[in-house]
Amino acid sequence: MARLLSFIDARPQFASPKSALLVENDESLLIFLRTSLKNEEYAVRTAANREEGLRVYRDFGPFNVVLIDYYVPPSNGAKIDHCALPQTSGTALAMDIREMNPSQKMIIAAFDYQNAGQVQRPPELMHIPLLIDSSNFQLPRLLEKIEVERAIEALTPSDLLRLQRSADYRVQSLGRAARGRTGEDLLSEAQLRTLTGAGATREGRHWNKHVDFVWHLTGAMRSISSCWKRQFKDMEPYLISEIPIHDAEGQEHSPLDNVASGDAAADQLLIEKDEEDRVLTMFKDDTEATQVIQGWLDGLTKDEIMSKYGLGEKQYAAVVKRILKLLGPRNGGSRG
Amino acid sequence: MKNMADKRNHDERLERLMNRLAESVLGLSDEAILAETNEAASDPEQEAERTRLVLRRASELLDNVNRRLSNLGHTINSNGWYRGRSGYHNTCVTCGSFVSFTPATGEMRGDALDGLCAQSGRYMIRKREASR
Repeated sequence: MARLLSFIDARPQFASPKSALLVENDESLLIFLRTSLKNEEYAVRTAANREEGLRVYRDFGPFNVVLIDYYVPPSNGAKIDHCALPQTSGTALAMDIREMNPSQKMIIAAFDYQNAGQVQRPPELMHIPLLIDSSNFQLPRLLEKIEVERAIEALTPSDLLRLQRSADYRVQSLGRAARGRTGEDLLSEAQLRTLTGAGATREGRHWNKHVDFVWHLTGAMRSISSCWKRQFKDMEPYLISEIPIHDAEGQEHSPLDNVASGDAAADQLLIEKDEEDRVLTMFKDDTEATQVIQGWLDGLTKDEIMSKYGLGEKQYAAVVKRILKLLGPRNGGSRG
Repeated sequence: MKNMADKRNHDERLERLMNRLAESVLGLSDEAILAETNEAASDPEQEAERTRLVLRRASELLDNVNRRLSNLGHTINSNGWYRGRSGYHNTCVTCGSFVSFTPATGEMRGDALDGLCAQSGRYMIRKREASR
């Protein structure tokens, strides 16, 4: 056993600040859980009972996650009292830790049970996730969730504002394909895809922890919004108000005055043209901003725009800042 | 036909513009984004917390789904979620029953919700019995 554990310990550790406390007295479960945690790049400390767990927590805590077996002995050599429900030594230790640090993320392993509904716990611990089955699906998911939650809490106000505005612009870029969705819908979807891993590709959208979380979310939003765009079919039925009506002389009439024709959506075309004109009009006194916007509308890259209009790096950045400021929330620019 | 081509053209131009704005806003400094939000007469802290809440709510939604399945003894492969048009779909790895949920409403459907997982004891470890 000791040799096996030293073998596991000898495996290369990633240079990761993630730490875990594992409180488990059963040797085979200890190996299984410890290996699973190490596979997720956690540096693991272990304890075999409540007393030791508390000591290790006091000496080395807080940890990114504390994983406690529901049934651990109260102290070294003591027997497990299986009748002390719901206050087993495992839940008692979780309560101790909670008292010391209410924000400590914990998982309780309750492998003896068939479902979470059977696991008795004090009300204060009802929100703590349970590890019920020993197949290898649950633990990585729970750890992923804890890390994502930690990343969300660590986002600064400016990170969050940038994310929201970026989401708003992405949804605006969809036009009709947005189908009433908002930037918040896009952010929420990006978060769900992060947690479920569901995505357009087989690899899905799980967060690669070596990538900044804001960067990850913006990548997810980009991919989701282009997926929404692809899914949208221009052949979907148009509203009557979207269908242009022309008489024999080619004069356009209100579509509501007549029976709908099968022509393309002129109202929508006008809205989009108007929007383009509106944006350009806002910058009519700012030649550089007009040039950059025109470049963006034409699909030019940053380098192409800089070279075409003779703008330097700093000049370009200053122009972009002016554009964002004028098109910002103050002018209803990013909220559609 | 010309109308349709013009429409596509304007559609693409606006799409490009908004996408470039979406990318550019990420490069704004902390001071700039906070100042802009302030100028828009909204409290940056409050706005930011509203966005954090959106992210938290998405997590809670999935928590509710997982908790309900866990209470019924179902085991879901976290990599097995599939995003369909109407929502997220998955199946219990032990009994094969189906579950789905709709992000907009949080509504859950599927035979996995009909009752306890028929095979939920399959991966149990009888620690209590073994230690007696």
